Amino acid sequence: MLGSTIINHRQHVGLQKLSALAGILHSCLGPNKKYKFIQDDGHGESALACSCFRIIESLELTCAVGQLIHETIRAHQKVYHTGSGCLLFLAGAWSRAALDCLHRGISVAHIISAMSEGMDICMDVCRKSAISTEGLGVTPLKRDTATSHRLEVQLSEERITNASQASCRLERSTKVDHKTLNISEQRKIKLSRHFCETRSDPPPRQPQLPDIVHIAEALSHGCDDAMKLVVEAVQMLSKMNQQDVSHSMFDITKVVTCVLPGLPEQHACVVPGCVVLLSAEQAAVALHLQEQHLKVALINGDFSDTYRHLGFKRLKDVQRVSDRLDLSSLSREDEWVEKVVRLLLNLEVKLILISGLASEKVIQHCCTHHILVVEKVKASVLKTFANSTGATPVTYATQLTKRYVGSGAEVKIWRDLGSRGSKSATAVNISAGMSGGLVTVVLTSCIHGKLQALEDQFWACAYRLHHALEDRALLLGAGRTEMLCIHHLQKQVEYHRERNRDCVQQTTTATAANHYRGVVLQLMAEGLIDYISTVMVNTGKFSKVTARTVVSQQLQSYNGHLGVAAELSQLFLEDEKEDSAVFSEMKPGEARAAEIYDNLSVKQEAWRKALDVVLLVLQTDAEVITGVGHKSDAAQENVLLL
Amino acid sequence: MMSRLVKKSPSLCTDLPLDTTDICNKLNLLRQLLRSCFGPTARLKQVHNNIGGHVVTTSSSSVLLPAISSSQPFINLIKTSILNHVSRFSDFGLFAAIFCLALIEQTKQSGLRGNVAIRVNKHLLALCSSYLQGEDCGCKVKLDFCSSHNLITLARSIISSKPACVLTEPETLHISKLTVQAFLLTVPCSSPGTVSLGKVVTVTVEGYSVLNSAVFPGLLVDMPDGLCLNKVNYLSNPLQMVLFSSSLAGDLSELGDGMIEVHPSVDTESQILDQLLELGKQVVADEVKLFVCQKVVHPVLQQYLRSHGIIVVERVGITVMEPLIQLTGAHPVATLHAKIPPKAYGKVQGLSMRQFGSKTMLHLQPLGESAICTMVLCHRNETMLSELKVVCQKTEHVLRLTLREPSALFGGGCTETHLAAYVRHKNKNEVPETASVLGCSQTEYLLGVEVFCRSLESVARALQHDGGYSLIDLTHAHHWTLPADVMEEHMEDSFGLCGCGLVESSPSKKWTYIDTKYAEFSPAPLVKDCPIQPRVLDSFIAKLSALQVATETANLALDVRYIIQDVS
Repeated sequence: MLGSTIINHRQHVGLQKLSALAGILHSCLGPNKKYKFIQDDGHGESALACSCFRIIESLELTCAVGQLIHETIRAHQKVYHTGSGCLLFLAGAWSRAALDCLHRGISVAHIISAMSEGMDICMDVCRKSAISTEGLGVTPLKRDTATSHRLEVQLSEERITNASQASCRLERSTKVDHKTLNISEQRKIKLSRHFCETRSDPPPRQPQLPDIVHIAEALSHGCDDAMKLVVEAVQMLSKMNQQDVSHSMFDITKVVTCVLPGLPEQHACVVPGCVVLLSAEQAAVALHLQEQHLKVALINGDFSDTYRHLGFKRLKDVQRVSDRLDLSSLSREDEWVEKVVRLLLNLEVKLILISGLASEKVIQHCCTHHILVVEKVKASVLKTFANSTGATPVTYATQLTKRYVGSGAEVKIWRDLGSRGSKSATAVNISAGMSGGLVTVVLTSCIHGKLQALEDQFWACAYRLHHALEDRALLLGAGRTEMLCIHHLQKQVEYHRERNRDCVQQTTTATAANHYRGVVLQLMAEGLIDYISTVMVNTGKFSKVTARTVVSQQLQSYNGHLGVAAELSQLFLEDEKEDSAVFSEMKPGEARAAEIYDNLSVKQEAWRKALDVVLLVLQTDAEVITGVGHKSDAAQENVLLL
Repeated sequence: MMSRLVKKSPSLCTDLPLDTTDICNKLNLLRQLLRSCFGPTARLKQVHNNIGGHVVTTSSSSVLLPAISSSQPFINLIKTSILNHVSRFSDFGLFAAIFCLALIEQTKQSGLRGNVAIRVNKHLLALCSSYLQGEDCGCKVKLDFCSSHNLITLARSIISSKPACVLTEPETLHISKLTVQAFLLTVPCSSPGTVSLGKVVTVTVEGYSVLNSAVFPGLLVDMPDGLCLNKVNYLSNPLQMVLFSSSLAGDLSELGDGMIEVHPSVDTESQILDQLLELGKQVVADEVKLFVCQKVVHPVLQQYLRSHGIIVVERVGITVMEPLIQLTGAHPVATLHAKIPPKAYGKVQGLSMRQFGSKTMLHLQPLGESAICTMVLCHRNETMLSELKVVCQKTEHVLRLTLREPSALFGGGCTETHLAAYVRHKNKNEVPETASVLGCSQTEYLLGVEVFCRSLESVARALQHDGGYSLIDLTHAHHWTLPADVMEEHMEDSFGLCGCGLVESSPSKKWTYIDTKYAEFSPAPLVKDCPIQPRVLDSFIAKLSALQVATETANLALDVRYIIQDVS
């Protein structure tokens, strides 16, 4: 029995749900994350999660808004691997803003157009305040060293600022005060190559990788250990590939992670090659194969006789009819295994990498013939092996011929981890020689439940660096970009207010819309203030109230000193020192060793997606639930059956 | 076989179904649901299964109506007839549904006898149709194919009426231009005799800005493993290609159901594979360079073909088959058990790879002129992208309909109010005659006219969702809107333009709220050749059909005396 159910939304339940959902994850924002237990009362299982993405994933939301959020975050995570917390927080904050607007009687159409305008303003601020990654690494950020060079810098600065200010004046629209943007413009110049040239100081720490180290540090966002691993991986990759170090050189597909439970976290390290965990039996084969150049075969799919390629339809009703009884012959599987092993031996293949699973029997047979079978290999690893060994991935082992087999692979026992419980495991390093090699980041923890979070953190850091190099630009971190956006949104509010005052006589719809516009933009800015203060609260050093006060004070003093362009950043630096690094998680005594930056594309995309979700939910007034049994849901409140 | 244990329960018979409150409530609910989806400021609906399935956010009738299933035959009757209209004309599904439901509801409320209402509705429908189709119709514009302006306006009116696409103004314009461009590409330039239109194939790319959307002449097909094709770019001579519609997966899927008996020593799979490789050999010998299959190609055959320098594209799907045939001139091969006849091969001019976000696609350029083009649509998330795809396909279809009848109606509710005013005026002098022809009293006839006109006007009013007011001007009978918060004394200032953007407000104009009685008048035609172009246009054919479908469905519903339901 099918039926459709319509739920009437009074009070806009959807926006309330969205805001409530986001509320759960407030403590996951910023560098200081708190772990959460997610418990399944039915089965008594529980999971430990600290990233927004993992929590949403394990919550198994069934309501429409929850599902929409889940889909949005999954799509974001798939591409960016970071920024989901920001996305969800702002979706929550702006849905509260939208609710507030509805309570004040602002129509949905007005809210939408004003919020879109607000988003345009924020995107514009991001674009204009973005800092090029070029030459970023060579800036001295400790102010005492910088002072001695001030003079020279200013000289070279003079020329460029004149030119660039002139050009940027051209772009200025009249209504938005762009003076504030000069900070970034000056910063850009301060950090430009000119400065680098005038410096005769000792060369940077890593001569071949000047900026990556610095950028990575600025993007660690509290995950210093994970970021250290990322930097190591990048350096190792570039060394292996013998390429000259330029920006977009961080090929993230060449990085794999391997998690080892049971070891303390300090044991995490970066290893050239691809480290996998193997059973004792297979480790013995690996031991036998050490220090040899091996022929390698790559298989896309499972390695078993019953596996068929995607899209193959099996016959259901097949009866095998025979005219005589044949007891001597082997089973089909045995026959297949024998055939495959014979083929592999003929081709002298010693190593097989499989993207899927292998059947028990074939692994055993291969083991006895000293052929190493590695299962569940990532597609990117297969691709790398294909490129560097000359092998071509095939779907069936029977397809293998000489030209599809690669050579030059190596196997090395990396570490014997001893027996854990019933299984014993050995970490084995597989590599395709030095060319086009892979790097494995080994992550360790004594606590099994934490491994997932550590792995996520590592990937978040890796992708942050990856996106920074891809964008070739960064945003001011530690809430400063948000502050700039708030400032510009409030400027616009001011502008609308003044215009309303001017034409107070004519009460046309246009001005009415403008009045609303101011209110909506103010509420949007408040969402961003909420964001900054929540991050501050999460550092554990502020109460909600003091955090908000600090933010509004800074905004005010910022507004008061518009003439001095550099005021804002100075203010922030000052403030961070005083308040013991508001946003960054610093060890005491190390007041500020590095700048903090955010990713440009990640932030823009997260904000836009957050607003998209809010606008979609805001415009939705009913749910149509398909396939509802009349008995099960008809009793529910608010559900109307068609 | 066991016999049935449950006794068949007697059928349920409902007398005069439209008089039961349950059915009336459900029809009213459906009307409210669809009414709130109407127009550019519509409210959206989330369609989902409540157990964690995919959520679709939409306001399109073509997505929403199939999701609605009801135990009530009335709902299903209306739903089916609207969906049938949508499948033929794409646009105005919601219009038809709202008008139909309003007509049923208003007739019931007016207390008019069912058979009288049916006759009056039929008469008025004929009146409207002939007026709209006539030369002197005051709410119609001729479409001029010399300029794309009106076509873009038409496209834009449709696209901007679907807020679930979440488009900004520049994005809306960009997509409108693209759909018009795609439509124009499907019209062949230089083929004498019967002209057959080409096709637009839509490809979607998620996670990319809308402004990255583009239209390409030729066909783009997905190549998931683009890495095998690095050397394709330079191919530019005519290439021989073959197209398979049957699966080449190496299975026996075509056999159908039933038991098969096989000798144990027979290996069917390897026999089919041999057959496939035989096919591969012929293809190689015939110098085919591009091998396309609608379904799966066995990896071994793929390997064989690739090793001979042939580009293999598998799983292109049924929707691309027809355009592929048109583009290449190939005849799809449906079997692997016979030799490929030489005339089955097709040709392409050139191939190149195109990258769109995460998608790698092979671009097939036609040999000579072809009316096939590909529209790549990008959007930030899946929900908005799927709505955008639906809307673009609909727009393309509507643009196509303009070739049959190069006219468009005023949009923004102006056609509805204009038509209502026309019907009221037209009937003023002919009440006695028409009433006697229709076999009813004059009062009944006038009541029927009022029901019909109010239902029409209620559709125009359905464009308002934020508590605003709908008005009609007393010269041209166009539709005007006022936001809810406008003060009475400032009313005149608040009108800018009418719904379709053709009439400007002026101090001499008089307005009245829709739903208030006004003295009938003859809606004045607009000055011919006026320089102002309408801002919102509606498809002529689709709206005319929607009007007919709605009236006829309402008449059928009003005619139902009993519902007999088999409840066992």
